[in-house]
Order: sequence, then C-alpha cells, then structure tokens
Amino acid sequence: MLEACLPLLEEARVEALEWSFDVLYQTAETPAWFHDLLTAFSKEERLIGHGVFFSLFSGRWLPEQDVWLQHLRTCCATFHFDHITEHFGFMTGTDFHQGAPLNIPYTASTLAIGQDRLKRIYEACACPVGLENLAFAYSIDDVQRQGSFLDELLHPINGFIILDLHNLWCQLHNFSIPYEQLIHLYPLDRVREIHISGGSWDDSLLETGRRIRRDTHDDAVPAAVFDLFRQTIPRCPHLKYVVMEQLGNGLTSHKSKQQFYADFVTMASIVDTANQQREAGATHAFLPAEQLYLGQPLEDETLYQQQRELANILESAGSFDAARHLLLTSSLAGTAWHVEQWDAAMIETAVKIAQKWKEGF
Amino acid sequence: GTLLSAILIGIAV
Repeated sequence: MLEACLPLLEEARVEALEWSFDVLYQTAETPAWFHDLLTAFSKEERLIGHGVFFSLFSGRWLPEQDVWLQHLRTCCATFHFDHITEHFGFMTGTDFHQGAPLNIPYTASTLAIGQDRLKRIYEACACPVGLENLAFAYSIDDVQRQGSFLDELLHPINGFIILDLHNLWCQLHNFSIPYEQLIHLYPLDRVREIHISGGSWDDSLLETGRRIRRDTHDDAVPAAVFDLFRQTIPRCPHLKYVVMEQLGNGLTSHKSKQQFYADFVTMASIVDTANQQREAGATHAFLPAEQLYLGQPLEDETLYQQQRELANILESAGSFDAARHLLLTSSLAGTAWHVEQWDAAMIETAVKIAQKWKEGF
Repeated sequence: GTLLSAILIGIAV
C-alpha cells in the first residue's frame, strides 16, 4: 500500500490524508516515520480519521467500544483531525477486530442507539463526525431507505456523510436501480467526503448468470465509478474531501501499483476540473447546533441477541439453503429484520462476507 | 470551498 502511495506523496499530488486510526491497535506504537507523515498533514489541517471497528449499531454497549473511544481521544490529543468517520452497520465478529459490517433494521431502537453512539464519538473527538454509506443490503427496501435513515441518524450531531460511490454502484447494479432514482434518496447536502474505490464480481450459484458486485476494495476503479463521480460532484454543495481507497492486498504487483497511481491521477484531474467551478471560502462546519447530553449508553438486548444469532448463522452456514432455513426459524423471523423478504443472492453474499472476514483482517 | 484529493492509509502498517 505504502509503495503504491509513495510516488503520489513524493510528487506532492496528495492534498490530504485519511488515516484508518483504529487498525493500528495491535501494534505497541505508531512507527516514527508514519508519525511524521501524520504530523505533517495534521499541521496543515489536512488529516482526517476513518474508523473501522466501532460497530455503531451493536445492541449491547461493549467494553471494547469504551477502549475505542479512549484510543480516539488519545489520537485526537496527538494529531489535529479535520473530521472523524465510521461505517454504517454492525460488525459480525465476536472479537472486536474481526467481522464485516452488515445492515440493521431501520427502527426507532436502532435509530436511538446509532444517535447515542455518534454523540459519544463526537464527545471523544470534538470535531465533525460522519458515516459512510454501506454497500451491502438484504433487500431493495434497505437500499431505498438508507439515505433517509442516515439523515435522521446524523441530525442530532449535525453530522455528515461519506458517499462511497463504489458502494452506491454496488447497489445500483445488485438491485437494478437507475442512478437518478437512488441518488435523490440521499441527503446530498450532508456529503462532505466521497470515496472512490474498486471491487470485484461474484457469480451467484443460486441464480445462474446473475453477478453480484462487492466492495472488496482490491481492484482498480471501474470507469462507471468515475462516471458516477463526475455526475455526483455538482450535487454535493458541501463536499470537501475526495479519497482514493484500496486495500493493500490488492496492491501486490507492479501493475496494480501503476493502476493505483493512474486511478489517483484520474480522480485528481476530475477534482481539478470541479474546482474551476468552485471558489475558495468557508465550507459547512458540520458541528452540533447545541450542547449534547450523554447519559448511560443506550442498549437493546433483544437486538444484540438477534445480531449475534445472525452473525453465527452467516459465519457457520454450510450452504445457502441451510442459511435461509436457519434465518426463517431464527428469532429474527417475523420481526423488523424482515428476513422473509431478503434477496436470495444477497443472503448468499452475506454468508460469503461473514465467512471471509470472521478471522479478521 | 476547494475540493482536496486524498488517499486512505493505515492497513499497511
């Protein structure tokens, strides 16, 4: 990853740095050279933080979430972050650094828990806080409601959205929705950051000929995502950061590193063109309008048990049929999870995601 | 506001 980034950094093409600040957990300390890199961007107020493991919608408040917040406080005492972000969803893993984010039912309970957690993140970092849209969805209803749910979630902290355009493209493809129809369902005035990334195709074993697009972040940026980028920029009046995202395991060959470089240059040229239509000046602050009050962390034990049961089913199911049978006879059946309406190929995909990440990164 | 081009980093270390 760093080898791929080095030419871009040396040529001063990188105008800001987004740091996944919680993936360093298992090291004793940040390496000195990396600390210097973060410090350089921090001093220019061009450093932003991106969390991976907080598990925003966990029904139970976990001790690890307290540790995560303390780690965030420490990072914020060391570096100046222009904003902090996390992922939408709950993590499937029982261990805090395992699993993948999956969707949750959009209910009053999950809304209250999400708002409670976002307030705690804001209290820890004292800078704008945002959430990234999730690529994975169980059904078309999930896809169509995610934008408005994000808007409600972010309202108390006046937070913002990272609009991951590859995640959006996954949904456009997987549920055959036109871009113009889906983009209008997102509160684009809340978009402060855009993610540009690649992914991979997965052939469904259930539906011959159907290919599922997944946000595996291990390949080049598709031309379609750059097209979405060009279309979306003018619709986001408070956009500030555009971030190229790719996992290191997709950057092992010389060719893949060259492609990463080329993709960044393409992204930056689109940004340069867009900047000709913008003018320097203050951008939206995305800070709470009034003081936030924190009581005890909100919890929903029923939701937590359903999340654990779902994760266990997905991580251990030997086949799609087994997973579907277990879901329909689980405590999730007949509830707001609406497992009866889940798209068969997406259950198949959820099994693959959960089983891929259950051992952690 | 001027847009800024950035990279996400962190996994590699």
